Amino acid sequence: MPERKQNLPQLYRFCFLMLGDSRKAHEVFHTTLREAAVRAAQGELPREPLWLFRDARWRSLEASKTDLQPEPLELDEHDVTPEAALQTEQLEPTQLAIWISNAPDPQRTALALFYLDEFDYCEILDIAELKLNVLSRYLSQGRRQLQAWLDAKHPEPRQI
Amino acid sequence: MKTFGLLRRQRALLNCAPISQDGLADRSMRSAVYRAAASADFVNQQNFDRAIAELVRRIPIPPETAEWFSEKDLAVGSKWTWKKIVRNPAVLAISIAVLVIAGVSVFQLLGRLHDFPGSTTARKLLSVAASTRPVMLDPVNTEAGTLSDLFFMKHGLEHYDVPVEFADFQAIGCRVFEDEESRRIAQIWLAEKRMQVFLFPAERDTKTGAVLHFPGWRYVHQEGWVGAVREHSGVCFMAALRGREKELEPYLSKPKE
Repeated sequence: MPERKQNLPQLYRFCFLMLGDSRKAHEVFHTTLREAAVRAAQGELPREPLWLFRDARWRSLEASKTDLQPEPLELDEHDVTPEAALQTEQLEPTQLAIWISNAPDPQRTALALFYLDEFDYCEILDIAELKLNVLSRYLSQGRRQLQAWLDAKHPEPRQI
Repeated sequence: MKTFGLLRRQRALLNCAPISQDGLADRSMRSAVYRAAASADFVNQQNFDRAIAELVRRIPIPPETAEWFSEKDLAVGSKWTWKKIVRNPAVLAISIAVLVIAGVSVFQLLGRLHDFPGSTTARKLLSVAASTRPVMLDPVNTEAGTLSDLFFMKHGLEHYDVPVEFADFQAIGCRVFEDEESRRIAQIWLAEKRMQVFLFPAERDTKTGAVLHFPGWRYVHQEGWVGAVREHSGVCFMAALRGREKELEPYLSKPKE
């Protein structure tokens, strides 16, 4: 299994994007690895790649079940603009994580995995258990919603 | 994404286009990206994705989480190293058991190297010597060498001769007894260093009945006692005392073989 696919810092970031809370992300990350350590000691580590991320995904979804859920709203959507890159510079990673973690799953998983820039689309389809056209729709919609949110939060890109 | 000239699948692929170029391993994805490379919408999407991915890369890793990263073996599967194998309790237990068995085998092999025909009987007689008290023997006051005649005439024991090396020592007691195999053993207690000597039938070949000869003096050890054994005319003679070989050596005419 290529090590890149089980990159532990990226696993933590994935948990953080899924939960939007560093304490919960640490808990899920820690539990996932502790379970992995037990399985490793028993020689029962799965042979399939990406199992750590798959495991962390379900733990994250489980952990967020008890959270207050956002009301289902129709989010605004804007076309992605050339200024979007500048607008994101005014964002903090935590703000982005909170935004992604509030997305309904499986869009949340799709966005978190995609923006980790760790997996190709086939691997994302595998972990998120989606079909290509569904993943495509979630990502496209996510970009447009994120752009609308950026427009609302930072109407003017920061002048450099 | 307004890429009207593209097929539906290619549009789907473009929405999932990798943020960095090393994710272009898939042929259909490469083709879709190549066709849309000049599209302003696609360029905007790529810039947007890169900016968001950069933001994700800036997510700080808490120190308590970073502690796990040194243990990447957990993530990539447990690799068996020689050190791990050696530390495995099962391997350790088996290794210790094998070492003990090997040690016992070597010890027994070394013990057998010094064996000779009659050595087993000689060791038993060393145990007899250790437990014998003077009162158990018939008191005599003569030279050991003269007792050969007594053994022959009184007990019919032929060739039960005390070697010349010990013939002149004063004997203070003697007896003839049978061991558990009904072999007749002559035992003499000498005044010299409280030494005891034994005369017993030499070991014979079980098939032919021929005496199993061995040359010179041979040593045996048992419970702190040492015996020097020699075979002559089908009878073994053993001089025994509590102590070590070097205490017996001066009495033996020839060096041990």
